[in-house]
Amino acid sequence: MTDDAVLATLIAQIRDVVPELEGHPIARADSMVDLGVNSIERNEVLLLTLQALQLDISPTKLVGPRNIGELADLLHAKLAG
Amino acid sequence: MPSSRAEGAPPVVTGIGVASGFGYGKQVLRTGLHAGADVFGVLARPGRQPAGAATPFIGVEMPDPPDVLPKRIARTAGLSGRVAVAVLGEAWTEAGLADVDPARIGLVVGGSNLQNREAVLALTAHGEGRAILSPHLGYSFFDTDICGLCCAAFPIRGFSLTVGGASASGAVAVLQAAEAVRSGRVDACIALGALQDLSHVDLAALQALGALGPRHAQAEAAPGAACRPFDRGRDGFVFGEACAALVLRRADDLPAGAAAYGSIVGGAHRADGHRGPDPSLEGELRAIRLALADAGIGPDAIDYVNAHGTGTPLGDDTEAAALLEAGLATARINATKSILGHGIAAAGAIEVAATLLQMRDGRLHPTRNLKTPIVPQLGWVGETSERLEVRHALSLSFGFGGIDTALVLRAPGA
Repeated sequence: MTDDAVLATLIAQIRDVVPELEGHPIARADSMVDLGVNSIERNEVLLLTLQALQLDISPTKLVGPRNIGELADLLHAKLAG
Repeated sequence: MPSSRAEGAPPVVTGIGVASGFGYGKQVLRTGLHAGADVFGVLARPGRQPAGAATPFIGVEMPDPPDVLPKRIARTAGLSGRVAVAVLGEAWTEAGLADVDPARIGLVVGGSNLQNREAVLALTAHGEGRAILSPHLGYSFFDTDICGLCCAAFPIRGFSLTVGGASASGAVAVLQAAEAVRSGRVDACIALGALQDLSHVDLAALQALGALGPRHAQAEAAPGAACRPFDRGRDGFVFGEACAALVLRRADDLPAGAAAYGSIVGGAHRADGHRGPDPSLEGELRAIRLALADAGIGPDAIDYVNAHGTGTPLGDDTEAAALLEAGLATARINATKSILGHGIAAAGAIEVAATLLQMRDGRLHPTRNLKTPIVPQLGWVGETSERLEVRHALSLSFGFGGIDTALVLRAPGA
């Protein structure tokens, strides 16, 4: 899976969790906080994304990224192994 | 801070919201009740199918609620919460609560373990690897999520809480809300009998207990015949989804032109010392007598009794004996559960609503399937609705765990 595909998966989960963001542009530089995604929703987005990517790791291993682009990069790296 | 107005005046009901097998709103409820329409069927909501090859459960299910919550909130709310907000909206608008100081409005939600079906669905999907366990479940499994949803959707800032009384929960909520208004704690208080969203596990347990009755297991072909309170052929209760909200206010605090449905002039809530499902003649009688004394009237002043009437053999026998011994043989009696099914947590509240609507309509709804009453000398409303001007009514609700409640309602101007 490419890095862009991981990003698309992540963005799809954000839109599922916050339906009001449907049609709102979401870019790599955006953070979920800036998009108005609250802490419980952010946790849900991470869990849903891990499930969609079939990644069996704890969300606590995903601490650090400052925006969704960096989060997608980290997820891509975890997928690679 | 307590109101400066004098304490003690009986609160009046100025707004009613309901949902039942007839759908949403008072009009479809009163039409369906007076017609005694049959809404029983096989339970089809996911999470209510019995394990293995067992016979499907029967009961009453309501339509899905209207989309009144933002999608972002609605996707995290259970059925009980979404229905509660829709039902509260009807009562809120009718009562004109938008003009009341939010700090002077309270909310009492009747019911406990309200969202078991949602929990069973979530755990099953997670266990099978089909879904994550949503972080929202970490707070929404509490019954207070109904409080949170209602108080977020409407400006209620006085207090909110839940009260459990099993099948009497809705009546306990009305009693608590009445006390909150009568004491001056708030100027308006909403009593909400919440939808008890039973799972197949709960239904199977009630069946194992014997509460659903053997007829229930054979009723798939004619589900409308299984629920028959006070009839000789009764053998257990039948579940029915319901929810009701009642707005209680001080009689001297109503906006100009507001028309109350009636006032709550007496009430009692007592423990009879029984664990489990066994009813208590002594306890029921005590609740009835205390409620009448609280209202300052005798049994002969009661024109109409909305009975608890679940259709269980011992429960109906005990209640009929209590009505006789309390001196209520001249009152007309019906059982709303014969039409709506047993709403468990919601039952007491929707039955108070049904009582007030019948009071306003001057008409009593039929008791479905009441062909041969167990105690013929009582004043049963049979399978046909009746006209009656009701000045005082008694609404009874009893709950597992030895909970006995009675409410006395007075018509406006009576």
